[in-house]
Amino acid sequence: MKKILLVEDEKPLCLLYEEELGAEGYAVTSVHDADSALEALKRVAFDLIITDIRMPGKDGVELISRIMGMRKDVPLIINTAYQSYKEDFMTWAADAYVVKSSSLDELKARIRELIKG
Amino acid sequence: MSELRKDIVTGRWVIIASERSKRPDDFRPAGAVPKEEVSAFCPFCEGNESKTPPEVFALRREGTAPDGPGWRVRVVTNKFPALSPGAPPPRPEGGLFQSMPGVGVHEVVIENPDHAKELVDLDTGHILDVLDVFRMRIGAIEENFHYQYVQVFKNKGKEAGASLSHPHSQIVATPIVPKRVKEEVYGAERLFRANRECVFCRTIAEESRLGERLVLRNGDFAVLAPFASRSPFEMAIYPLRHSPFFTGTTRDELASMAIVIKTVLGRLKSMLSDPPFNFVLHQAPNPTVSSKAWPGIRGYFHWHLEILPVLTKVAGFEWGTGFYINPVPPETAAGYLRETS
Repeated sequence: MKKILLVEDEKPLCLLYEEELGAEGYAVTSVHDADSALEALKRVAFDLIITDIRMPGKDGVELISRIMGMRKDVPLIINTAYQSYKEDFMTWAADAYVVKSSSLDELKARIRELIKG
Repeated sequence: MSELRKDIVTGRWVIIASERSKRPDDFRPAGAVPKEEVSAFCPFCEGNESKTPPEVFALRREGTAPDGPGWRVRVVTNKFPALSPGAPPPRPEGGLFQSMPGVGVHEVVIENPDHAKELVDLDTGHILDVLDVFRMRIGAIEENFHYQYVQVFKNKGKEAGASLSHPHSQIVATPIVPKRVKEEVYGAERLFRANRECVFCRTIAEESRLGERLVLRNGDFAVLAPFASRSPFEMAIYPLRHSPFFTGTTRDELASMAIVIKTVLGRLKSMLSDPPFNFVLHQAPNPTVSSKAWPGIRGYFHWHLEILPVLTKVAGFEWGTGFYINPVPPETAAGYLRETS
């Protein structure tokens, strides 16, 4: 089973994503801030990371920079409510940029593209 | 008392607020200069080429493959472009709400592989390469005449709009000639008709004679603190040879310009503790468009590069009036810039 790390500060959203992505056959671990994500990455070899940008503490842009410093090979999806972070060149490090919506179809499609096999 | 000054080409007014006059030290950060936090990762650094869109152009070591290490200057399409290539967009129809598809070009010029080496830190040969890449990309983009204007600019530092500290510039081509460019072109045309000479050539000659706003001059370029400077320590680099198009610059002239850029940016860095700044290239619109819309433009437009340190805030008054308030008279700024080594 492919392992996904979800970094999202809104807990109700985490529950929704865990359920929806779990139904697709992924094992989802949710954390709610960047520091917890970095800790989790030291312990588990995730197959993909989904991260929000606007979070308390370190934001998702800084988290991406740190993740890339640790594991450049892991596919990474930005999942944010805002288009405006596209102006930040650090977001180029992500493999996909998905703007949050009520449907998870696009997010699921990007996950399928990035996790093969 | 403050003084109102007019840029006679664009018609823009500024307020030189002498009573608020400041010295370079007033713009230096208090205490130690905070070191910008070094990111653990940068998509522009050598070795991370897979994190950018494929390169459009690169100056690279012989035998090295595109989108891999071994480059000196690398140009990539913006991953999230403000404008994207496409068919010539239809002109907007009249009415209250005019719009057109966002067709254009948006490229990022990564100036060198080393994250920590700013443009000013590069040797002049490398700065020449960056300028040559600008010239080549402008020429290539302008082959498509529906890209009516090509803007080259650099945002250095967060306050100047840079989201990443790795040295880079940007190129945006628009499907229309922007309003500010038109203002400058029409202003230059009007003054040419009135005086039968290029207003920029006249300004360079007059400022060289007066000397008080002249920052430096070599055999090919003059650097001025413009009479109606919008920001403290603003500078404009003018070629002495009259030319409307940056693409018409020779490699020897670019080499001379590289020395000038290294010198003035070095002085700015030393005097103001590495301030944020923007530089913007002003040139005539796409030659195909220019020849139709402004047949005499070769006579009256004169390309130049403006360097604008970001030391004051653009706020309500500026937005409301289009005026800028500059607390450093350009004569004072030029004096400091001449004296700084």
